[in-house]
Amino acid sequence: MKLHKTKTLVLFSLPAFILYFVFMVLPAISAFIYSFTDWNALYKDFSFVGFDNYVEAFFDRNFIGTLSLSFRYVITMVLIQNALGLTIAVLIDSMKRQSIWRTLVFIPNMISLITSAFIWKFIYTKVFPEISAITGIGIFGESWLGDATLAFWAVTIVSVWVGVGYTMIIYLAALQNVPVVLKEAAIIDGASNLQTFINITYAITINVFLTLNGSFKAFDQFLGLTGGGPGRSTQVITLNIYNEAFAGNFRFGYGNAKAVILFLIVLIITLIQFRVMRTENS
Amino acid sequence: MKSKTNIFVLMLLAVITCIILFPVYTVLLNSFKTRSEMLVSFLAFPKEFTFDNYIITIQKLKYVSRFFNTLIVTVLSVTGIVFFSALAGYKIARTQSRLSKVLYLLFTLSMLIPFHSIMISLTQISKIVGVRNSLWGLSIINIGLGVNLAIFLFTGFSKSIPKELEEAAAIDGCNEFQVFRYIAMPLLKPIAATVAIIDVLWIWNDLLLPLLMLTSSKDFTLVLGINQFFGLYNSDWTLALAGLILTSIPAIMFYLVFQKYIIKGIASGAVKE
Repeated sequence: MKLHKTKTLVLFSLPAFILYFVFMVLPAISAFIYSFTDWNALYKDFSFVGFDNYVEAFFDRNFIGTLSLSFRYVITMVLIQNALGLTIAVLIDSMKRQSIWRTLVFIPNMISLITSAFIWKFIYTKVFPEISAITGIGIFGESWLGDATLAFWAVTIVSVWVGVGYTMIIYLAALQNVPVVLKEAAIIDGASNLQTFINITYAITINVFLTLNGSFKAFDQFLGLTGGGPGRSTQVITLNIYNEAFAGNFRFGYGNAKAVILFLIVLIITLIQFRVMRTENS
Repeated sequence: MKSKTNIFVLMLLAVITCIILFPVYTVLLNSFKTRSEMLVSFLAFPKEFTFDNYIITIQKLKYVSRFFNTLIVTVLSVTGIVFFSALAGYKIARTQSRLSKVLYLLFTLSMLIPFHSIMISLTQISKIVGVRNSLWGLSIINIGLGVNLAIFLFTGFSKSIPKELEEAAAIDGCNEFQVFRYIAMPLLKPIAATVAIIDVLWIWNDLLLPLLMLTSSKDFTLVLGINQFFGLYNSDWTLALAGLILTSIPAIMFYLVFQKYIIKGIASGAVKE
């Protein structure tokens, strides 16, 4: 009986497992192993070099710059996207016809990131100068994709534009999870609504970590809007890894070491997330 | 008191919504302009609407064939993910053994791995296995990458559906697969719908994996198509803008049709407690 159970479990899991093993587990293991080699796609031979790639990454000015840019971008995203998402959710929550507002605000989330990047490229390069000419507001007349600081904001705006609808929906759900009776009671009492408060804190935690995780993996909008430029000013970690391996350098060993570093960063964030949510739940 | 605040709130919300929709509106507006009219102003309303940009772009973008390429990859991938993950997740939930616990951990722990961490080695392995440069190859890679989250959801959901029916069916002589097919599968439908929607949105709009896997232009998906098209025509905004609208339409239509489920999925996935 027990053997039979094991057999069916194996049989039922096998199709998923084979593809999962070949395309997820194997790449993960080999990324780890190759991160300790000097493998370059241009040469046939490679050898193990210990922690050399990691040491190089640590002293690689470009990579450190890339990392600090990623952190800057992630923190900016967390602050802006959550502030805006919560604001819009609160506004919508007080409306009578909520679904129409929700639908409109959520639309950008359905457009692929690369398409969104191109839509905004048009806005930044063609429409902004015209707005500047009409209104005389100087900021619209600047070169949004040519200036390092503005390019950072240009990409951030696109990311928020796409992501804010998702954040808003989670906040809206948290607000609406509160039974109406309680809400009215709270208004009558003039007391602070404990349930709303608990729901909102929980939603904030979720959204902050969702944005944290998602923003570290941001890639498409940077590729489509600035390609990492001007110079290297908007080259985030994902783009840096991509360039290391596929655009010119072909240093797979070093690229994989950076890939493992990205994994470790995301892992640490997730572990913190689990800890925070556990304490919040208890 | 409430009606007064409402007008202010309404105006604020209307302004925010207008700003959010402004880029799409502007792109849409200009996609109907002739080139000469666009040179005059990007903000003005077109004097006459022309569909020429769309007719030319549909051809140059190879829109129809790329639409079907995307559809093939999405249907194959999502069907595979849903079916394989339902099988595995359901059985893992129904089996109490060390193996089932190990399998569950093995399948779900990889949700922590960012795609960008494995993309270099995945590209190499795909070359070796021989699944690069084909739509079915891309689809089976999508399945391999998508089952972790799907199995996580299927396992959780299977635990919540009652076992009694399955036990009765087994006593009546159904074999394991028949029990799954006729008893469990209908009960798993709600979570299957959630998984399918999450994965359609991911695969339909995915850029990086197709970019690494598909090198021949005839296999391109819509997203890859617009990426290449924009590189070629980014000085010719009339065509580029029509291309952007054409590429966005299918996903927006999908959203409008399945809005209820998408919103519910996002909200319930996050606000479970």
